[in-house]
Amino acid sequence: MVSRPDDELIADALSGQSAAFSELAMRHRPRVERLCQRFFSDPEIARDLAQECFIRAFAGLSTYRKELPFGGWLRAIVTNLCYDELRRRRRRPEELVGDFTAPEVQWMHLVSEATPEQIVAEAEQRREAHALAHRLLETLKPEDRTVVIMKDSEGMNVREIAQAMGWSAAKVKIRAFRARQAMRRQAERLQIGGHRLKP
Amino acid sequence: MNCFEARQDFPAFWRCELPADRRAVLNAHLGECAKCDRAFRVFAMTAPVLHSASAALSRAAGPREFTFEHRARAAAPPVNSSYGAQRRWLAMCASALIFVAASSGAYLAASAPTQSLSDALTNSQDQSVQRLFGSELPDSSDDLAG
Repeated sequence: MVSRPDDELIADALSGQSAAFSELAMRHRPRVERLCQRFFSDPEIARDLAQECFIRAFAGLSTYRKELPFGGWLRAIVTNLCYDELRRRRRRPEELVGDFTAPEVQWMHLVSEATPEQIVAEAEQRREAHALAHRLLETLKPEDRTVVIMKDSEGMNVREIAQAMGWSAAKVKIRAFRARQAMRRQAERLQIGGHRLKP
Repeated sequence: MNCFEARQDFPAFWRCELPADRRAVLNAHLGECAKCDRAFRVFAMTAPVLHSASAALSRAAGPREFTFEHRARAAAPPVNSSYGAQRRWLAMCASALIFVAASSGAYLAASAPTQSLSDALTNSQDQSVQRLFGSELPDSSDDLAG
Protein backbone atom coordinates (compact mmCIF):
# COMPACT_ATOMS: atom_id res chain seq x y z
CA MET A 1 0.00 0.00 0.00
CA VAL A 2 1.36 3.41 -0.98
CA SER A 3 1.52 5.81 1.93
CA ARG A 4 -0.02 9.19 1.28
CA PRO A 5 2.13 12.31 1.68
CA ASP A 6 1.80 14.42 4.82
CA ASP A 7 0.31 17.39 2.95
CA GLU A 8 -2.52 15.28 1.61
CA LEU A 9 -3.33 13.90 5.06
CA ILE A 10 -3.22 17.38 6.56
CA ALA A 11 -5.66 18.67 3.94
CA ASP A 12 -8.02 15.78 4.72
CA ALA A 13 -7.70 16.36 8.46
CA LEU A 14 -8.51 20.04 7.97
CA SER A 15 -11.60 19.11 6.01
CA GLY A 16 -12.83 17.14 9.02
CA GLN A 17 -11.50 13.62 8.46
CA SER A 18 -9.99 12.74 11.83
CA ALA A 19 -8.83 9.36 10.48
CA ALA A 20 -6.35 11.24 8.29
CA PHE A 21 -4.88 12.91 11.35
CA SER A 22 -4.68 9.56 13.15
CA GLU A 23 -2.63 8.22 10.25
CA LEU A 24 -0.39 11.27 10.46
CA ALA A 25 0.03 10.80 14.20
CA MET A 26 0.91 7.13 13.82
CA ARG A 27 3.52 8.01 11.22
CA HIS A 28 5.27 10.61 13.37
CA ARG A 29 4.70 8.97 16.74
CA PRO A 30 8.06 7.08 17.07
CA ARG A 31 10.05 10.24 16.44
CA VAL A 32 7.95 12.32 18.83
CA GLU A 33 8.15 9.70 21.60
CA ARG A 34 11.89 9.33 21.14
CA LEU A 35 12.37 13.07 21.49
CA CYS A 36 10.26 13.13 24.67
CA GLN A 37 12.35 10.27 26.07
CA ARG A 38 15.46 12.35 25.63
CA PHE A 39 13.92 15.00 27.88
CA PHE A 40 12.42 12.71 30.51
CA SER A 41 13.68 9.42 31.85
CA ASP A 42 10.23 8.42 33.10
CA PRO A 43 8.56 6.61 30.18
CA GLU A 44 5.07 7.49 31.43
CA ILE A 45 5.83 11.21 31.37
CA ALA A 46 7.40 10.89 27.94
CA ARG A 47 4.38 9.05 26.58
CA ASP A 48 1.91 11.53 28.09
CA LEU A 49 3.84 14.40 26.56
CA ALA A 50 3.85 12.71 23.18
CA GLN A 51 0.07 12.37 23.33
CA GLU A 52 -0.29 15.96 24.47
CA CYS A 53 1.83 17.02 21.51
CA PHE A 54 -0.57 15.39 19.06
CA ILE A 55 -3.56 16.92 20.82
CA ARG A 56 -2.00 20.36 20.44
CA ALA A 57 -1.04 19.65 16.86
CA PHE A 58 -4.61 18.64 16.07
CA ALA A 59 -6.01 21.73 17.78
CA GLY A 60 -3.59 24.03 15.94
CA LEU A 61 -3.50 22.30 12.58
CA SER A 62 -5.12 25.28 10.88
CA THR A 63 -2.04 27.37 11.80
CA TYR A 64 0.34 24.98 10.06
CA ARG A 65 2.05 26.50 7.01
CA LYS A 66 2.72 24.26 4.03
CA GLU A 67 6.14 25.67 3.26
CA LEU A 68 7.55 24.08 6.43
CA PRO A 69 7.89 20.30 6.79
CA PHE A 70 5.25 18.85 9.07
CA GLY A 71 7.91 16.97 11.07
CA GLY A 72 9.70 20.21 11.88
CA TRP A 73 6.46 21.88 12.95
CA LEU A 74 5.69 18.93 15.19
CA ARG A 75 9.20 18.97 16.62
CA ALA A 76 8.79 22.63 17.60
CA ILE A 77 5.59 21.70 19.46
CA VAL A 78 7.30 18.81 21.28
CA THR A 79 10.34 20.79 22.34
CA ASN A 80 8.25 23.69 23.60
CA LEU A 81 6.01 21.28 25.47
CA CYS A 82 8.96 19.45 27.05
CA TYR A 83 10.68 22.74 27.88
CA ASP A 84 7.54 24.02 29.63
CA GLU A 85 7.30 20.76 31.55
CA LEU A 86 10.97 21.01 32.61
CA ARG A 87 10.39 24.55 33.84
CA ARG A 88 7.24 23.53 35.64
CA ARG A 89 9.07 20.78 37.49
CA ARG A 90 11.78 23.29 38.46
CA ARG A 91 13.45 21.10 41.06
CA ARG A 92 16.77 19.92 39.77
CA PRO A 93 19.95 18.91 41.57
CA GLU A 94 22.65 21.56 41.22
CA GLU A 95 25.40 18.97 41.30
CA LEU A 96 25.50 15.36 40.31
CA VAL A 97 26.34 13.96 43.69
CA GLY A 98 24.65 11.42 45.83
CA ASP A 99 24.21 7.72 45.81
CA PHE A 100 25.05 5.56 42.88
CA THR A 101 24.10 1.96 42.43
CA ALA A 102 26.81 -0.66 41.98
CA PRO A 103 26.08 -1.04 38.23
CA GLU A 104 26.29 2.74 37.82
CA VAL A 105 29.70 2.80 39.49
CA GLN A 106 30.81 -0.10 37.29
CA TRP A 107 29.70 1.82 34.23
CA MET A 108 31.65 4.90 35.38
CA HIS A 109 34.77 2.78 35.82
CA LEU A 110 34.28 1.26 32.40
CA VAL A 111 33.95 4.70 30.78
CA SER A 112 37.12 5.82 32.57
CA GLU A 113 39.25 2.80 31.76
CA ALA A 114 37.97 0.75 28.79
CA THR A 115 38.78 1.39 25.14
CA PRO A 116 36.32 3.48 23.07
CA GLU A 117 35.22 0.36 21.18
CA GLN A 118 34.41 -1.45 24.45
CA ILE A 119 32.48 1.55 25.77
CA VAL A 120 30.31 1.71 22.65
CA ALA A 121 29.71 -2.04 22.66
CA GLU A 122 28.69 -2.05 26.33
CA ALA A 123 26.55 1.08 26.34
CA GLU A 124 23.60 -0.38 24.47
CA GLN A 125 23.37 -3.30 26.86
CA ARG A 126 23.49 -1.31 30.05
CA ARG A 127 20.38 0.32 31.42
CA GLU A 128 22.46 2.12 34.06
CA ALA A 129 24.32 4.01 31.30
CA HIS A 130 21.01 5.45 30.22
CA ALA A 131 19.95 6.25 33.79
CA LEU A 132 23.23 7.95 34.61
CA ALA A 133 23.13 10.04 31.43
CA HIS A 134 19.68 11.25 32.42
CA ARG A 135 20.91 12.10 35.91
CA LEU A 136 23.71 14.11 34.41
CA LEU A 137 21.37 15.98 32.07
CA GLU A 138 18.99 16.69 34.95
CA THR A 139 21.63 18.92 36.55
CA LEU A 140 21.34 21.34 33.63
CA LYS A 141 18.99 24.32 33.56
CA PRO A 142 15.87 23.74 31.43
CA GLU A 143 17.10 26.16 28.74
CA ASP A 144 20.53 24.51 28.57
CA ARG A 145 19.06 21.04 28.47
CA THR A 146 16.64 21.95 25.71
CA VAL A 147 19.39 23.44 23.58
CA VAL A 148 21.67 20.41 24.09
CA ILE A 149 18.93 17.98 23.09
CA MET A 150 17.89 19.99 20.04
CA LYS A 151 21.45 20.53 18.91
CA ASP A 152 23.05 17.17 19.67
CA SER A 153 20.17 14.73 19.34
CA GLU A 154 18.11 16.42 16.65
CA GLY A 155 21.02 17.94 14.78
CA MET A 156 19.35 21.33 14.60
CA ASN A 157 21.44 24.43 13.96
CA VAL A 158 21.37 27.65 16.00
CA ARG A 159 18.92 29.39 13.67
CA GLU A 160 16.48 26.48 13.71
CA ILE A 161 16.58 26.25 17.52
CA ALA A 162 16.10 30.00 17.87
CA GLN A 163 13.12 29.86 15.52
CA ALA A 164 11.50 26.89 17.25
CA MET A 165 11.89 28.31 20.75
CA GLY A 166 11.35 31.99 19.95
CA TRP A 167 14.77 32.90 21.36
CA SER A 168 17.59 34.98 19.91
CA ALA A 169 20.50 33.22 18.22
CA ALA A 170 22.83 34.72 20.83
CA LYS A 171 20.82 33.13 23.63
CA VAL A 172 20.99 29.74 21.94
CA LYS A 173 24.76 30.02 21.53
CA ILE A 174 25.29 31.07 25.13
CA ARG A 175 23.06 28.27 26.42
CA ALA A 176 24.86 25.68 24.31
CA PHE A 177 28.24 26.87 25.55
CA ARG A 178 27.21 26.88 29.20
CA ALA A 179 25.57 23.48 28.91
CA ARG A 180 28.71 21.98 27.45
CA GLN A 181 30.85 23.46 30.19
CA ALA A 182 28.53 22.17 32.89
CA MET A 183 28.30 18.69 31.39
CA ARG A 184 32.06 18.43 31.01
CA ARG A 185 32.55 19.54 34.60
CA GLN A 186 30.06 17.00 35.94
CA ALA A 187 31.32 14.13 33.78
CA GLU A 188 34.94 14.76 34.69
CA ARG A 189 34.06 14.92 38.34
CA LEU A 190 32.39 11.53 38.08
CA GLN A 191 35.33 10.02 36.24
CA ILE A 192 37.81 11.40 38.74
CA GLY A 193 35.97 9.35 41.30
CA GLY A 194 33.83 11.69 43.34
CA HIS A 195 31.02 9.13 43.49
CA ARG A 196 29.64 7.33 46.48
CA LEU A 197 28.15 3.87 46.38
CA LYS A 198 24.53 3.46 47.38
CA PRO A 199 24.34 1.28 50.51
CA MET B 1 42.54 13.02 10.99
CA ASN B 2 42.67 16.14 13.13
CA CYS B 3 40.97 16.70 16.49
CA PHE B 4 38.01 18.60 14.99
CA GLU B 5 37.26 15.84 12.50
CA ALA B 6 37.61 13.22 15.22
CA ARG B 7 35.07 14.92 17.46
CA GLN B 8 32.68 15.43 14.55
CA ASP B 9 32.69 11.64 14.14
CA PHE B 10 31.80 10.83 17.77
CA PRO B 11 27.99 10.58 17.20
CA ALA B 12 28.34 8.32 14.15
CA PHE B 13 30.92 6.21 15.99
CA TRP B 14 28.55 5.86 18.92
CA ARG B 15 25.70 4.73 16.66
CA CYS B 16 28.02 2.32 14.81
CA GLU B 17 27.28 4.18 11.59
CA LEU B 18 30.90 4.97 10.77
CA PRO B 19 32.47 3.06 7.85
CA ALA B 20 35.09 0.51 8.99
CA ASP B 21 38.07 2.41 7.60
CA ARG B 22 36.98 5.70 9.17
CA ARG B 23 36.32 3.87 12.43
CA ALA B 24 39.86 2.50 12.42
CA VAL B 25 41.29 5.97 11.80
CA LEU B 26 39.25 7.39 14.66
CA ASN B 27 40.36 4.62 17.01
CA ALA B 28 43.97 5.29 16.08
CA HIS B 29 43.51 9.03 16.72
CA LEU B 30 41.91 8.40 20.11
CA GLY B 31 44.82 6.12 20.98
CA GLU B 32 47.38 8.83 20.41
CA CYS B 33 45.51 12.06 21.33
CA ALA B 34 44.91 12.32 25.08
CA LYS B 35 42.61 15.37 24.74
CA CYS B 36 40.30 13.68 22.26
CA ASP B 37 40.32 10.49 24.32
CA ARG B 38 39.18 12.48 27.35
CA ALA B 39 36.58 14.32 25.27
CA PHE B 40 35.21 10.99 24.07
CA ARG B 41 34.84 9.71 27.63
CA VAL B 42 32.95 12.86 28.59
CA PHE B 43 30.80 12.43 25.47
CA ALA B 44 30.11 8.80 26.49
CA MET B 45 28.51 9.92 29.76
CA THR B 46 25.55 11.57 28.04
CA ALA B 47 25.57 9.75 24.71
CA PRO B 48 23.25 6.95 25.89
CA VAL B 49 20.47 9.57 25.98
CA LEU B 50 21.58 12.17 23.46
CA HIS B 51 22.94 9.91 20.75
CA SER B 52 21.42 6.52 21.25
CA ALA B 53 19.64 4.81 18.42
CA SER B 54 15.86 4.59 18.57
CA ALA B 55 15.81 0.95 19.69
CA ALA B 56 17.57 1.59 22.98
CA LEU B 57 15.26 4.41 23.96
CA SER B 58 12.16 2.51 23.00
CA ARG B 59 13.35 -0.45 25.04
CA ALA B 60 13.84 1.84 28.01
CA ALA B 61 10.27 3.06 27.61
CA GLY B 62 8.87 -0.43 27.34
CA PRO B 63 6.06 -1.62 25.11
CA ARG B 64 2.66 -0.04 25.48
CA GLU B 65 -0.07 0.66 23.05
CA PHE B 66 -0.19 4.27 21.97
CA THR B 67 -3.71 5.51 22.32
CA PHE B 68 -4.56 8.52 20.30
CA GLU B 69 -7.57 9.96 22.03
CA HIS B 70 -7.54 13.55 20.88
CA ARG B 71 -11.29 13.87 20.95
CA ALA B 72 -11.68 12.62 24.49
CA ARG B 73 -8.67 14.45 25.79
CA ALA B 74 -8.98 17.70 23.90
CA ALA B 75 -11.01 19.20 26.69
CA ALA B 76 -9.01 17.56 29.45
CA PRO B 77 -6.21 19.39 31.28
CA PRO B 78 -2.68 18.86 29.98
CA VAL B 79 -0.04 16.50 31.32
CA ASN B 80 -0.22 17.37 34.98
CA SER B 81 -3.75 17.42 36.31
CA SER B 82 -2.90 18.96 39.70
CA TYR B 83 -1.28 21.91 37.95
CA GLY B 84 -4.34 22.26 35.73
CA ALA B 85 -6.66 22.05 38.74
CA GLN B 86 -4.62 24.71 40.52
CA ARG B 87 -4.89 27.02 37.53
CA ARG B 88 -8.62 26.39 37.18
CA TRP B 89 -9.10 27.14 40.88
CA LEU B 90 -7.20 30.44 40.57
CA ALA B 91 -9.22 31.38 37.50
CA MET B 92 -12.47 30.65 39.35
CA CYS B 93 -11.40 32.79 42.34
CA ALA B 94 -10.38 35.64 40.04
CA SER B 95 -13.66 35.56 38.14
CA ALA B 96 -15.65 35.44 41.42
CA LEU B 97 -13.77 38.51 42.69
CA ILE B 98 -14.38 40.37 39.45
CA PHE B 99 -18.08 39.50 39.61
CA VAL B 100 -18.41 40.70 43.23
CA ALA B 101 -16.54 43.94 42.45
CA ALA B 102 -18.63 44.62 39.34
CA SER B 103 -21.97 43.94 41.06
CA SER B 104 -21.04 46.13 44.10
CA GLY B 105 -20.06 48.93 41.77
CA ALA B 106 -23.30 48.63 39.84
CA TYR B 107 -25.36 48.61 43.10
CA LEU B 108 -23.58 51.67 44.50
CA ALA B 109 -23.99 53.54 41.24
CA ALA B 110 -27.74 52.83 41.19
CA SER B 111 -28.43 53.69 44.86
CA ALA B 112 -26.21 56.79 45.28
CA PRO B 113 -28.13 60.13 45.64
CA THR B 114 -27.79 62.36 42.67
CA GLN B 115 -26.30 65.65 43.71
CA SER B 116 -23.79 68.03 42.32
CA LEU B 117 -20.32 68.43 43.76
CA SER B 118 -21.03 71.90 45.12
CA ASP B 119 -24.22 70.61 46.88
CA ALA B 120 -22.28 67.80 48.39
CA LEU B 121 -19.60 70.18 49.67
CA THR B 122 -22.21 72.58 51.13
CA ASN B 123 -24.02 69.74 52.87
CA SER B 124 -20.84 68.39 54.35
CA GLN B 125 -19.89 71.88 55.60
CA ASP B 126 -23.35 72.33 57.19
CA GLN B 127 -23.04 68.96 58.88
CA SER B 128 -19.66 69.82 60.37
CA VAL B 129 -21.00 73.18 61.67
CA GLN B 130 -23.98 71.36 63.21
CA ARG B 131 -21.64 68.91 64.91
CA LEU B 132 -19.75 71.90 66.47
CA PHE B 133 -22.73 74.00 67.62
CA GLY B 134 -25.52 71.50 68.11
CA SER B 135 -28.59 70.98 66.02
CA GLU B 136 -29.39 74.75 65.76
CA LEU B 137 -27.02 77.07 64.02
CA PRO B 138 -25.85 79.99 66.26
CA ASP B 139 -27.66 83.34 65.76
CA SER B 140 -24.96 85.96 65.50
CA SER B 141 -27.34 88.91 66.52
CA ASP B 142 -28.38 87.17 69.84
CA ASP B 143 -24.78 86.54 70.70
CA LEU B 144 -23.94 90.16 70.22
CA ALA B 145 -26.98 91.32 72.31
CA GLY B 146 -26.16 88.88 75.17
